[in-house]
Amino acid sequence: MVKPAKGTTTLAFIFKEGVMVAADSRASMGGYISSQSVKKIIEINPYMLGTMAGGAADCQFWHRNLGTKCRLHELANKRRISVTGASKLLANILYSYRGMGLSVGTMIAGWDETGPGLYYVDNEGGRLKGMRFSVGSGSPYAYGVLDNGYRYDMSVEEAAELARRAIYHATFRDGASGGVASVYYVGPNGWKKLSGDDVGELHYRYYPVMPSTVEQEMVEVTGA
Amino acid sequence: MVGKNCFAIASDRRLGVQLQTIATDFQRIYKVHDRLFLGLSGLATDAQTLYQRLVFRHKLYQLREERDMKPETFANLVSAILYEKRFGPYFCQPVIAGLGDEDKPFICTMDSIGAKELAKDFVVAGTASESLYGACESMFKEGMEPEELFETVSQALLSSVDRDCLSGWGGHVYVVRENTDVRCIFKHDHSDMILLRSIKYIEKELNMLLRDPHT
Repeated sequence: MVKPAKGTTTLAFIFKEGVMVAADSRASMGGYISSQSVKKIIEINPYMLGTMAGGAADCQFWHRNLGTKCRLHELANKRRISVTGASKLLANILYSYRGMGLSVGTMIAGWDETGPGLYYVDNEGGRLKGMRFSVGSGSPYAYGVLDNGYRYDMSVEEAAELARRAIYHATFRDGASGGVASVYYVGPNGWKKLSGDDVGELHYRYYPVMPSTVEQEMVEVTGA
Repeated sequence: MVGKNCFAIASDRRLGVQLQTIATDFQRIYKVHDRLFLGLSGLATDAQTLYQRLVFRHKLYQLREERDMKPETFANLVSAILYEKRFGPYFCQPVIAGLGDEDKPFICTMDSIGAKELAKDFVVAGTASESLYGACESMFKEGMEPEELFETVSQALLSSVDRDCLSGWGGHVYVVRENTDVRCIFKHDHSDMILLRSIKYIEKELNMLLRDPHT
């Protein structure tokens, strides 16, 4: 049975310099756009990020809960929790609520002692380790651009541009994605927000309108 | 939307299959004759077929009566054609706008089985129709001149489609007054600054064209 997709586009990938995380910012209720400025990249702690796809309340609450548990781990063990450990904590919680209607499709990205880490965790209790993920209704379109342009040894700027483009192309084709494309980078010193560009502006930056075409259409109508 | 001896008809430009966007330059408004325009929202294939059927009937009418159809008559024709398919309807909501006798503007909309809704001020149709009702209700004024009407219609359209996943990508706006007919297409940005600039640019062009109707 095909799962109904969560209306959003988020992606993350590991490369030589760390982890790049990007997402759109549109919240839709069926066809209605309820907001164009939702923060879909949640800051769990200064070196770990989570992405939001699915129910906003579910994702926000459980990520904050995860942040709390990570802090408790730090206090109890006098060292930071690994990305593996954090994602396992979340996956176990979601598994215990399986079948109760939570809607969470998240990626946990971070930098720990073993280097960059990226896990995909969802509301059915699934947990996958990987190098590239995209979640949401716009993910097929984002994968198309991401898989094509991905190389392990990219610089931070190249990776950011790839992530931005992938989100932009997903927002172009998918009606449930739009708003602002935010790009975050997770490095050895923690995460840093790199950019937040309106996808409408990105459209004209990538595909500028030629003035002559517009002028042609500004004349009297000869036929419909 | 109705103005002073003129009317404006506008549509968005997106064509999609549920959430996926297929095209960003889709034409939804058709000219039936110089003083009568038809906008068709809903299923694209039904819109095209319905338009072709209506143009055929109008051409027959022109041959028999040796004149163009009045908007009120055309509205009755559309309603009848839609009701013919009462139990297997066209999935379209038409919006009809035209200038009748003595250049009096006429607008009406219908549901997909031909129930006419006449209005004196504005009519709306489509996936964002609820938003459009709100936007038009608050922005509409009686007796607007073509320049102001264009501005109002564009802003109402854009603010409504910005709240709808299934509409967008700019708009087509037709403003028709007496014997002039000006078409404008404006690109759409989420950024207000850029939108304002392109509206001003189009306004300038519109003013130039309206001042001299024979260009």
